[in-house]
Amino acid sequence: MAKELIMTGCRAAAEGAKAAEVEVICSFPIRPYTAIMMELAKMVADGELNAEFIHGEGEHAQLSVVLGAAASGARAYTGSSGVGVTYAMEIYSPMAGGRYPAQMAIADRTLDPPGDFGSEHTDAMCTRDQGWLLGWADSPQEVYDNTLINYRVGEDHRVMLPQMVCQEGYFVSHIPDKVILGDQSQVKKFLPPYRPIGPLSTTKPVSHGPQIRPDQGAPMDAMRAAVFLDVPKVIEEATADFNRIFGRNYDPFVDQYKLADAEIAFFVMGAHANTCRKAVDRLRKQGVKAGMARLRWVRPWPTHQLANALGHVKAIGVVETSTSYGGAMRGGNLIHELRASLYDLDQRPLVTSFMAGLGGETIWPADFDYMAKVLTEMVKEKKTKRYVYWIGM
Amino acid sequence: MQAFNYKFQQLEPLKSFKRVPVPEMYVPGHRTCAGCGPALNYRLVAKAAGKETIFIGPTGCMYVANSSYLCTPYAVSWIHAQITNGGAVASGIEAAFKVAARKGRNTGVFPNIIVMAGDGGSVDIGLQAMSGMMYRNHKVLFICYDNESYANTGIQTSPTTPYGAKTTFTPPGKEIPEGKVLFPKDPPQLVIGGHPAVKYVATTTIAHPLDLMNKVRKALSQPGPTFLHMLATCPKGWLFPEHLTKEMARLAVETGMWTLYEWENGTYKYTNVPKKYKPVNEYMKHQGRFAHLKPEHIAKMQAFVDEKIKNVKQAIAVAAPVPTARQKA
Repeated sequence: MAKELIMTGCRAAAEGAKAAEVEVICSFPIRPYTAIMMELAKMVADGELNAEFIHGEGEHAQLSVVLGAAASGARAYTGSSGVGVTYAMEIYSPMAGGRYPAQMAIADRTLDPPGDFGSEHTDAMCTRDQGWLLGWADSPQEVYDNTLINYRVGEDHRVMLPQMVCQEGYFVSHIPDKVILGDQSQVKKFLPPYRPIGPLSTTKPVSHGPQIRPDQGAPMDAMRAAVFLDVPKVIEEATADFNRIFGRNYDPFVDQYKLADAEIAFFVMGAHANTCRKAVDRLRKQGVKAGMARLRWVRPWPTHQLANALGHVKAIGVVETSTSYGGAMRGGNLIHELRASLYDLDQRPLVTSFMAGLGGETIWPADFDYMAKVLTEMVKEKKTKRYVYWIGM
Repeated sequence: MQAFNYKFQQLEPLKSFKRVPVPEMYVPGHRTCAGCGPALNYRLVAKAAGKETIFIGPTGCMYVANSSYLCTPYAVSWIHAQITNGGAVASGIEAAFKVAARKGRNTGVFPNIIVMAGDGGSVDIGLQAMSGMMYRNHKVLFICYDNESYANTGIQTSPTTPYGAKTTFTPPGKEIPEGKVLFPKDPPQLVIGGHPAVKYVATTTIAHPLDLMNKVRKALSQPGPTFLHMLATCPKGWLFPEHLTKEMARLAVETGMWTLYEWENGTYKYTNVPKKYKPVNEYMKHQGRFAHLKPEHIAKMQAFVDEKIKNVKQAIAVAAPVPTARQKA
């Protein structure tokens, strides 16, 4: 029987991992994701989960342990936050290039300096070009759901890629909300057991990761890139199955809110969408035709889905919660890819960005009102005056 | 957690060369240098371990020269690890096989899981992962094949490069005539000193093949983590003729530059202890890496070795060598 409970995002991630019957877990403490591992440690200690719980000696080791486990046929799970995510940087490419579909839970956090516990997308965004699946949830419920959806997509033989399941530190990881936990029969129906391809074995010897010649590099890179052409289809299938089996209503790629007739739109990621929806409602009451698009996957980037969802809007404000110092627009990362996605449209929306929620700051309803004002002026003047506005200075 | 009876392997000692298994698990077809010590080392380890084995190969000579062009010389399963994380990748593999055994997915014998790491991948950049694996009591044999340098990258100093050796990062010059001024780390003592889960540690060389293979088999028959330190001589890095590969390892033991011992549950047992040690220069004079040294430098090396072998006959731990600070001779 499905159960409805009140829990934090961290607990929801652990419940997702437990439902997926993960077999090798590797921990290392760093706030705020730590609570996920605390929950799993207790589940293993209480005999609710038959898994090896390994205390890694750092995030680099965490990734290495789950790489070895996934290469040997175990469903493996780890996680991190902030500078922990970047400490493990060496291992992201070997994980993805070796096609080891382990999962990493992220409760995001700023990078140093200075030390700050606050949420920011910057940590996991740093890994976006290493070949992992990557996306943010907007609630504990979606964290639980994404944990299962990501294993299903990542372990699909057309994909075989590691997955980064992100939630915002504190906003989602530590604020309890309603979560419906699936019945184990639903989970079994949705998520088949992990079937590794050519795992390490004593009966069928294999070699994983030999050296290549430089001229063998380009075809391999092309293969890694080509996988991402197939991933969207697998995500669509998995999301449709998930919606059917668990009774949810996810759009596979872009969560659209009042976009159909919108003139201005906010482009957001994660739980800031919850404030944004209320702001859209309020703006609508004031006669502003506002809407919202929430990105569910950063990798694969849903290029065409975004063009379809946002092409008709007159002005878009990208709400950036990560930094791209010195980047093309001198602000965050998302605006680059969104503008690229819209480039081939005959009629391109105007696009600017708002640096908001950095350092773990709340993005307030009033901030969205200000953004709406900027976007409305852009529509009126038919011009993008600035590429980036810093909110909360 | 409920105790579970994993089917760990027990490998009988090889009484003589006649008993050595014929099948090769490390086969021809690699690109190692002529006279390569580590390649010979690998072959002996693989032969001793046998078919039911999984190797973890952190980056180093034995990655780059063995697995070129998508080909590998392993007749058993092998996985590349980064130079940083051999111990951690091995931990994950071991954990996966434990869960698989508990869940009845893998009913055969538990594989020998062996990390074959160079000195850098063991006690320099790989130290953290090795130590973590040992602390957590994984059933993994960690082997340091020690060619006393980062050889694959063009002979740079590592923490096991001897005092006075010329490497491309420790070139001798007017200001620093010795080349390398630091004295090396002591890998087995690093393991023994701080890892209570490790019950068996031994040293060996490629000039003592039966000894080497039996130490591998004994280590693999322990229920927990083990460590072997193997001298794998390197003609290219040490600058000696290729046909002297075994001879250099033998001389290392005869001069006291290397000691052969087993450490089991707190007890040391030394073997191949010479009746009378040869002077260290008998070993050093064959190697171009020491050719620039002056008599006072060789005397300093002799004093270091004398201190090291002082207690060997009493079968107690080697004394920690003293001088490490940069100083002119």
